[in-house]
Amino acid sequence: MRHIATAGGRSAAIVNDNLIMTGPAASPLRRVVQAPFTRRAWAEVGYALATFPLALAAVAFMAVTFVNTFPFAASTPGVRKLGAAARFLARGLLGEDVPAPPLVQPRPRVRVKTPDAGGLAKIAESAGGRVRQWAFHYGSGITVSNLPPAQIAQLAAKADIAIHDMRPGSRVAIWVNTMIRDDKPAMRARVYFLLKLPLAVAGVTVAVSGWLGGLFFLTFPAWWTLASRNLLGVVNLPASFTLLPLGAALLLAGPWLLHGVTEADLRLVWGLLGPSSPAERIRALEETRARAVDDSAARLRSIERDLHDGTQAQLVALAMKLGLAREKLEDAAPVDLARVTQLVGDAHRSAVEAIADLRTLARGIHPAVLDNGLADALATLAARSPVPVEVITDIGERPSAAIETIAYYSAAELLTNVAKHSGARHATLEAVHVPGLLRVRVTDDGKGGAYAAPHGGLRGLAERVRTVDGRLEISSPRGGPTVVTVELPSHA
Amino acid sequence: MRIVIAEDAAVIRAGLVEILADRGHEVVAAVGDAESLLAAVAGHQPDVAIVDVRMPPDHTDDGLRAAITLRRDYPNVGILVFSQYVETRYAADLLRMSPGGVGYLLKDRVADVAEFTDAISRIAAGGTALDPEVVSGLLNASRHVSALAALTAREHDVLALMAEGRSNGAIAGRIAVSERAVEKHISNIFSKLGLPPSDADHRRVLAVLSYLGT
Repeated sequence: MRHIATAGGRSAAIVNDNLIMTGPAASPLRRVVQAPFTRRAWAEVGYALATFPLALAAVAFMAVTFVNTFPFAASTPGVRKLGAAARFLARGLLGEDVPAPPLVQPRPRVRVKTPDAGGLAKIAESAGGRVRQWAFHYGSGITVSNLPPAQIAQLAAKADIAIHDMRPGSRVAIWVNTMIRDDKPAMRARVYFLLKLPLAVAGVTVAVSGWLGGLFFLTFPAWWTLASRNLLGVVNLPASFTLLPLGAALLLAGPWLLHGVTEADLRLVWGLLGPSSPAERIRALEETRARAVDDSAARLRSIERDLHDGTQAQLVALAMKLGLAREKLEDAAPVDLARVTQLVGDAHRSAVEAIADLRTLARGIHPAVLDNGLADALATLAARSPVPVEVITDIGERPSAAIETIAYYSAAELLTNVAKHSGARHATLEAVHVPGLLRVRVTDDGKGGAYAAPHGGLRGLAERVRTVDGRLEISSPRGGPTVVTVELPSHA
Repeated sequence: MRIVIAEDAAVIRAGLVEILADRGHEVVAAVGDAESLLAAVAGHQPDVAIVDVRMPPDHTDDGLRAAITLRRDYPNVGILVFSQYVETRYAADLLRMSPGGVGYLLKDRVADVAEFTDAISRIAAGGTALDPEVVSGLLNASRHVSALAALTAREHDVLALMAEGRSNGAIAGRIAVSERAVEKHISNIFSKLGLPPSDADHRRVLAVLSYLGT
């Protein structure tokens, strides 16, 4: 069993030796006798004990927030975190790597004032919008979610319906819709915990009665003696020995029962805490693709802008200087050597600047240091940081080139943030690659309080990470420490 | 000559000022965005304004739009649009308003200082100076494809050079024939395109440009 510990106490384990219960090699009798002592059986006991309080807490949390719409909506992120905790336990203890369900993006919501609310409502609905009609003394209209404003305006114009006013829908309504109607994964997580509670009770009961009860009855004569010969109404020592087979039976049957309970639970975990229906998965992929396309278009635009404003301008200036210098040299009149020297000197300076700019730009398109692998590239990056950075890498197999590039830029952006904003004296950069997942984490001892501000670097980074179905997590309490984690699929 | 420069890249702006000063011109204002350009022209009434296409505030075609405004409000101020790329649609708009005193050059052309300052003098005198790339863009975008197709290759070359704003003598030098041969080509072009005959260089160019731009 390989065990990779990463910062923050999270760990990823690859369990290779949990096959004894189903392995074909051992004889049936040996399997029955060995069952209680396999590592998997112990893992299942641990899982039953660990998930029991989680299930209790989750159901209690849901009960408290069920009172009305607002606490219910507000509980959605919490429910998602509980689901993540359940997946984490399943992965850590049982090696069941259930992928996280996609995050839900808020849908656009527009309030449209129009005299023909009914007509526009029909059109918007048939175009895939969710529509609510309204009419007040100041006019009538519809509220549409799921359609961009431009499309609504286009549809209205096509149908010749006048629009008097169009404004974004209330942010509260958007929030409630996102948290309750659209966040299907959170809703499934709620169902999971409701079903999990009886399973958790059963699991703990079986685990406790199977192991503790089995051991207790197997050693009953000793307990009986210790308890002043008065335990469970047993009258003498020989009678106390008659309970030994019960102990053996409990000990042997327990693991099988618990295995059944655990299997049922894992089915629920896969079915309710993973990325659900193909349709939802497809929608998430479509969003990811749209973001990827937008992202690459924006990057091309910014490269063009950099070329236009930087290198091209410098080369034009260079050509001007050289043109002027050439004319001076070709002139019939005596050559003003000082002037020509100055022009050539300026031209030379322009050329050097253009070269430096091009180098920076090329590095922005694809960092050449990545050719030797991510570990080397990150070490180079850390060495350039003004804040001392400790680098920890465990990257066996190389992720795909696109993922390496995004991981590299993530690390670069995060280290830049550390140097610019955190006031940290020390930072750690970790990159760990386990099958299917590359995790990059930057930790610093700075002042904390980092968050993904609109148009900020972290927001942009989160967007970019999402284009490959990855995610970015920020933990940055005031006073620090700041931990930013980027998780990327190995191949995209 | 009194000149206003509007160019957002500081290195190019400084370079232009240096070249023009070297040739004894007076740069009365050098600004970095479209709004300051309008104010500078209104304030200084220069002979020529050199206008970059992509400038703040929008970084799209702010310069060209400002140039069109200037053309309308100050028809006596020559305009040289100075860009890193060719935008045929706006070039055609600008020429349609009145091609006299207008130029459109790619920034690369500034490397040939003599030719560049020549172009500015031509514009100040009410002539035209179009980049060969702008001309070929206009020729390609022209709606008179069938009429243009009737021209021979040599006539096509002559038309392009004429559209750039060059005189008969300059055209003759470029394609290494006599001025008389050029005149003959030009009269052929005019009859093939159905344009009224005209002697003056300048009026001829205007005819060609308005023909291409419509």
